[in-house]
Amino acid sequence: MTLLEVKHISHWFGGLQALKDVSFQTQDEILGLIGPNGAGKTTLFNVISGFITPTKGEVIYEGQRIHHLRPYQTVRLGMARTFQIVKPFATLTVEENVLTGLGMPYYPTSKALVQRYKTAPNLEKVEEILTTTHLKEYREFPAAKLPIGLQRRLEIARALATQPKLLLLDEPAAGLVSQEATELSDLILALFHQGIQIIVIEHNMRFAMNLCQRIVVLNQGELIAHGTPSEVQNNEKVINAYLGQE
Amino acid sequence: MLILQNLSDALILACTYILMAAGLTMVYGVLKVLHIAHASVYTVGAFIGVLVFSWIGNFWLALLCAMLISGVFGVLIYRSTYFYLLNAPRTVPLIASVGMFVMFTDLLQKNFLMGPYQRAFPAAGAGLPAIQTTWLSLTPKQLLILLVTLGLLVLLYFLLTRTRLGLSWQAASMDREMAAAVGINLNRSIAANFFLGSALAGAAGVLVGVYNNSVFATMGDLPSYKAFIIIVLGGMGSLPGAILASLLLAIVENFMVASIGYVLPRDSIAFLVLILMLMFRPNGLLGRE
Amino acid sequence: MSSGYIVTIFTFVAIYISLALSLNILTGYAGQISLGHAAFLGIGAYTSAVLAVRYGLPFWVDFLAAVVITGIIGTILGLPSLRVRHDFLVLATMGVNFVVVSVFKYVDFFRGAMGLVNIPAPTILGLTFRGGAPYLTLTAIYALLTLAVCWYLSKTWSGLAFHAIRNDEDAAASVGVGSARYKIYAFGISAALAGGAGSLYAHFLGSVFPDNFVFVESIGMLSMVIFGGIGTLRGPIIGAIFLRLMPELFRFIQDYRFTLYGALLVLMMLFQPMGLLGKDSWLWKFSTRLLPGNRTSMREEIP
Repeated sequence: MTLLEVKHISHWFGGLQALKDVSFQTQDEILGLIGPNGAGKTTLFNVISGFITPTKGEVIYEGQRIHHLRPYQTVRLGMARTFQIVKPFATLTVEENVLTGLGMPYYPTSKALVQRYKTAPNLEKVEEILTTTHLKEYREFPAAKLPIGLQRRLEIARALATQPKLLLLDEPAAGLVSQEATELSDLILALFHQGIQIIVIEHNMRFAMNLCQRIVVLNQGELIAHGTPSEVQNNEKVINAYLGQE
Repeated sequence: MLILQNLSDALILACTYILMAAGLTMVYGVLKVLHIAHASVYTVGAFIGVLVFSWIGNFWLALLCAMLISGVFGVLIYRSTYFYLLNAPRTVPLIASVGMFVMFTDLLQKNFLMGPYQRAFPAAGAGLPAIQTTWLSLTPKQLLILLVTLGLLVLLYFLLTRTRLGLSWQAASMDREMAAAVGINLNRSIAANFFLGSALAGAAGVLVGVYNNSVFATMGDLPSYKAFIIIVLGGMGSLPGAILASLLLAIVENFMVASIGYVLPRDSIAFLVLILMLMFRPNGLLGRE
Repeated sequence: MSSGYIVTIFTFVAIYISLALSLNILTGYAGQISLGHAAFLGIGAYTSAVLAVRYGLPFWVDFLAAVVITGIIGTILGLPSLRVRHDFLVLATMGVNFVVVSVFKYVDFFRGAMGLVNIPAPTILGLTFRGGAPYLTLTAIYALLTLAVCWYLSKTWSGLAFHAIRNDEDAAASVGVGSARYKIYAFGISAALAGGAGSLYAHFLGSVFPDNFVFVESIGMLSMVIFGGIGTLRGPIIGAIFLRLMPELFRFIQDYRFTLYGALLVLMMLFQPMGLLGKDSWLWKFSTRLLPGNRTSMREEIP
């Protein structure tokens, strides 16, 4: 099932073209988005999630054109994301961070002004999410005090709380030791089996190859390859892009 | 004729705005701090000017002393507060700046300093003649303001473009850490920046004091608010932008008052301009998104 | 000091507690620093004064009108905050304060610098609250009401949304918080509560003048919030009590009130930017250590 379709997206920052006519669709899968530094991966995420309005092209989600929507509106359609440079709510506890995601349906209504957030059913949902993401024992910790690996997982937990159909993960494995990276892979797979489609930006080729069913490769803003991990791995353009970088 | 008279009035008003805004722009450029206590520097300049003038009777010496002491005062402000807050969120030095401004204004009103009353500053035009041509009609006082402002701007231009110090400010305003990494002594460079900017504010204080023949403790409030409006209009941290915006604001103020008269006092025009600017062109008239 | 004088002082303390708490919603919860809160006090006071003096309307009408009108004006004045970065917003609020005072001063309807005088004492259910202990009770009730609003707000989804935008607007957007809506809410609620305080202020003094609402008054309120501990419930209360009482207790300080406010802001920024009783302040840590088992009290605050 195609949830997201990116059609001919181009984007310029001033005179610099960051994305050049990028098109792809998601299927029911974990899709990897890889490419060397500065390839435009995060820009593409920003376009999809509404942080950037693209100069040209369309983003279609469940048959609806969404590239003019603001980030807080894309979330409401069921599209959640994490950030490459982690942005947990530093002064809130882990529990409260996850609660912010649960509030997603309330924020656009005036109910938000009167309805309390720390209710028993909500705390139960938080418990569930923290169990899935293995953060239960940190529940009362202020987010700022967590090590970076746990902050990344907390961002995933927060995103899950918005009950997404599509999850965009921006370099979730960056800065993790291999043990943590394996745990993260398992978590992402588990989420996929719960029925969430996932797009993951990854700098680490091996991590992406093991995790993803299909991979899109960007280089200098252009989509240069698209296929299964083994197809991509043997693609000449991809090899050149990665070798050329060194 | 009336229009010409208005234009020269506007030009003189703009000169005082420029001197005030130049210092603020320089500080904003390097530190990214909205230096509200700049108003106090301006008032201190006027105060020193009037004191020295009443002792010695020489305007130029009074101006020089005022500029020097204002400059030192500015450096002290920097060293005692902003210096420690360079890496704090921007609102932290800003609140500290507001605190200093309120504190100095209150202190200056006490009897052991300026007291709550106005002092005369009878320097006339420092012996300059009046000018009367078809294009320009200036009183000696106005000529004085014009000459001093032009002189200081030339000096400033020279410093900014032709000296290592000017280069170091440009580097620091682009990226403080990089500037430090390439061996610029940031501390000295920022202190010099404060000295110069504050000396300009001191000069503005003296000139306005002479022009209105009046110096008082709260005289800095309005010009400093307006200087902020000017640096917002001019695009933050841009000196040419600030000069252009000073001229524009002075002209608008003068003509609004002349043609529309008093609905609101003329000083609120500037604030309405500011609020509208912030809403619709937050990067300044010349600024880009 | 006569007991009447002491009651007057505490009436002002109560009014300023409401003001500091209301400013805290905007500045502490939503993170929008304002140097123009006195404008909202002024709008509330003038609304009440005009309705009472010019139209002879009863207190409760003036009061409600002050809350509603100030709330609406606050909402409108909040609009620039949507486009402006933090430090510029501070300038804009300063400008708003100046323009509002100019309007009071130069528009004939408000009687200019002469002010509006002879505002009658409030009558509620046949009881007249003319100064003294009854009026103190009235203002204390209002302070408690403000406190209740702040407390409840911090427990709602919008309270959580305020935390979120204060921490990081992009991250807030990623969980569905439209920061524009919440900034506007903060401006509206904060202004409305200040407007109510303004009404009480006007009816207590019996007269209002433009100079009661100038920029330095805003600084006074901000000092209270920052001194006590920004974003907490206890901070603004302690700040308001302390900064209102100090000048009364020490005559010397009365003369140097604004020097004190200014110096406090500078010192707090240098040494304790989160306030004396803020989350990470040494005084708060010290006092919480004295009271064991007090972990839950860490929850209520928004540093």
